[in-house]
Amino acid sequence: MEKENKSKKSPQDRREFLKKAGTVVAGGTILAAFGALIPKAKAEKADYFWQIDWNKCTNCGRCETDCVLTVSAVKCFHANRVCGYCDLCGGYYRSNVKDLNTAAENLTCPTGAISRKFVEDPYFEYAIDESLCTGCGKCAKGCGSFGNGSLYLQIKRDLCVNCNQCKIATNCPGDAIQRVSNKNAYELKG
Amino acid sequence: MKKLLFTISSLFFTLTAMAVQRFPKPEFESGYKYPDLHYALPHEMVWEVVDIVLLVVLMSVVAWAMMKKRNRKPIVWVSIISIAYFGFFRKGCVCSIGSIQNVVLAFVDPTYVLPLSVLAFFILPIIFAFFFGRVFCAGVCPFGALQDIVNVKNYRLSKAVSTVLGIIPWIYLAFGILFAATKSLFIICRFDPFIGIYRLGGAVGFVTAGALLLLAAVFTGRPFCRFLCPYGALLSLFSRVSIWKSRLTTKECISCDLCHNSCPVDAVRPPYNNEVKESRSQGVRRMLGYFVGLPILIIAGALLMRMSSGSISRVNKDVKLYDMVMAQEANPQENLNLDLEAFYGQGRTVAALKASYEKHQADFKLYSTIVGGFIGLVIGLALINLSVRRKRLHYEIDPANCVSCGRCFSYCPQNNDKIILENKNHEKSHS
Repeated sequence: MEKENKSKKSPQDRREFLKKAGTVVAGGTILAAFGALIPKAKAEKADYFWQIDWNKCTNCGRCETDCVLTVSAVKCFHANRVCGYCDLCGGYYRSNVKDLNTAAENLTCPTGAISRKFVEDPYFEYAIDESLCTGCGKCAKGCGSFGNGSLYLQIKRDLCVNCNQCKIATNCPGDAIQRVSNKNAYELKG
Repeated sequence: MKKLLFTISSLFFTLTAMAVQRFPKPEFESGYKYPDLHYALPHEMVWEVVDIVLLVVLMSVVAWAMMKKRNRKPIVWVSIISIAYFGFFRKGCVCSIGSIQNVVLAFVDPTYVLPLSVLAFFILPIIFAFFFGRVFCAGVCPFGALQDIVNVKNYRLSKAVSTVLGIIPWIYLAFGILFAATKSLFIICRFDPFIGIYRLGGAVGFVTAGALLLLAAVFTGRPFCRFLCPYGALLSLFSRVSIWKSRLTTKECISCDLCHNSCPVDAVRPPYNNEVKESRSQGVRRMLGYFVGLPILIIAGALLMRMSSGSISRVNKDVKLYDMVMAQEANPQENLNLDLEAFYGQGRTVAALKASYEKHQADFKLYSTIVGGFIGLVIGLALINLSVRRKRLHYEIDPANCVSCGRCFSYCPQNNDKIILENKNHEKSHS
């Protein structure tokens, strides 16, 4: 203010000077912000995608309901190399079922997305029909509690819309949903 | 130790450290082979390059249309491309508006690595605003483009209403930064009104809010851009002092008021004679009063926000969890909710959670104080701005509010060669 009063220029000139000063400040701010941000930005390691860290996942079931998509982008994955190929599967059958048959009341999956195929006595191969899976995690919970944990939840990259902040992550009780780089696009078991 | 365990277990079975191998690996005799499971990887990185290239190209087109061509038509095309590509095809993520929060997070969280595309989306529109004004808002931003395309009628809001509502983006920006800096929530992304429209579905409340905003945009220009968008507020800082500014007409202004009427965001300032009734000394005194009041407003805002930082901090997940755990410890319940189940199930300790809780409380206290002071400053500056009256001889574009939609150019009769030609013919036939 004092400087302006000293210079005996017209208000128009003063305004011009202030505008120029503002331009310089704005330009400087951009350069400073750019300079500060460039070292933080790395193309290769950048955290951009969302994946479930299955060490932390508790299969709570919020993935099914909290995704922004109507049918969640979280699906059940099956790691064959971890699976025990059991007949009495904790992910396939509900606990304490009377008969081991494929009647709906005996099965864990509410949508019938898990199918199994007889391999050889006493082994069965399990598979997930992704189009039916809602990502509720009931089978993953059963498999994790009674079996090897070969059924687990993961975010399907081709379905996920890559929200800037994953809505499930903000509600995940185990803090299991984390940003990963392109290199770890899928965190798979087995 | 954990690492060692992990390497050992992965050496043998490529198993996880956590998963329990309750059943041994089956030894098949029938020659069974494990099925090979492949999961499709979309070519995300390719699209990111396309995003950035398109961002630069579209902004350049708008800048050219504003500065050289002085025509709205290219801007309409840019809007359509942006709605189709950035909106419906890319589903509106990552956008420049949300990128503010990523940038803030990158500053406070050293473990977060900022993607280059997010940096580009944050900085490029600002650089363009610094050179050419808010060309990003014009039609490159899918939200602005959508509101602009549907706009048919402009009911002008009174100055009082638009001034008060105009403060909201700054408050929104401040809170967006507050919650990002405390690693709590990206509120700007969470309360995004148009994302439901671009994703063709979403939470009922947000889709309704988006539809209502869009309906409002039919009758008054860009309500979201003017009264909500935090990135627009940020850009207005730079466009205010931009190097090149577009002018309404290169010829002489005939003060016809048509451009003023055409502007959907009230960014054309009419000539103003500045015949204030109050005496100069009175005005100076009032200004002095405001300048004295400004620090008071800042301090009041800072104190108010600091006092309420405790309740604001409950947005954070760890703070919420800590409250739940404390309630549980004080009065143990049989049935745990999912959060508590996960907390005890993962074997996290109350002491570690308490440390995180206290860290967040301190963070919230600091950032809330800054945000409160900032809000006080914004309100004070808005008041001062209302009292500053300047004489204007001609119609002028207000560079802070102008979103470069280019409507005014075609409304100006001086820009329209056809009208000028007809007028000349008219004069000739009369003489």
